[in-house]
Amino acid sequence: MSLYEKVIKKPWPYWVGGILLALLNISLLITTGSAWSITTGLLYWAAAIAERLGIRPGEWYYFNFYEYGLKEGQTFLYNSYTVLNIAIILGALLAVLCAKEFKWKKVKNFKQFCFALGGGIIMGYGTRLSFGCNIGAYFSAIPSFSLQGWVFALFMFVGAWIGSKILFKFIL
Amino acid sequence: MSEYRLDCLFEACPIPLLKALKQLEKMKIGEVLILHTDHNCSITNVVEWTKKQGHYIDYIEISEGEWEIYIEKAK
Repeated sequence: MSLYEKVIKKPWPYWVGGILLALLNISLLITTGSAWSITTGLLYWAAAIAERLGIRPGEWYYFNFYEYGLKEGQTFLYNSYTVLNIAIILGALLAVLCAKEFKWKKVKNFKQFCFALGGGIIMGYGTRLSFGCNIGAYFSAIPSFSLQGWVFALFMFVGAWIGSKILFKFIL
Repeated sequence: MSEYRLDCLFEACPIPLLKALKQLEKMKIGEVLILHTDHNCSITNVVEWTKKQGHYIDYIEISEGEWEIYIEKAK
């Protein structure tokens, strides 16, 4: 297998990915001082869109009760969450293009669209109840020795197990 | 001895693996399942799972980002 195949094309072993992600996590914390969280970024995008439409989420109880991670002078595009999320998408695109595996994928059928939309809304709702998604819990909370991260992790397994059973029996 | 084609194009994880699982249960020994997918994690997780189960598996990349995985049920 040539070097191109081994490094760029074939998937890397799980442990290599794990160690690399851990090192990147540490360097992120050192350089920016905040941990990574995807859905918080999505939440702020939605809040920004809502503000344009006239709704004023800044006055909601949710945003005033808990501290949020935005610092002074950050705007819609220039804040740590948005920059990280866009960078992730660009990085993944770069990896796929280098491996010559880029492909436009369409929506398969209406059923898939409905399930994806419904599932996404439920997931989004859940992330606000638990203040984070996979990344916020496994990548940021657990390495910071937060007990809530472990609670999330445990119940994520339960939820995924139930979801898989439903998927396997009724939907597939 | 027949072949089954499964079309898993545009499906996300873990659907190709679960569809393959379901189809393999219904097949007889020696039959071949052809899984057409464009999800790049399937080539790792389907291959790993089938090897653990003891079936024969191989895959080819038929165009950019699309794979066909051939599984022969061995036991």
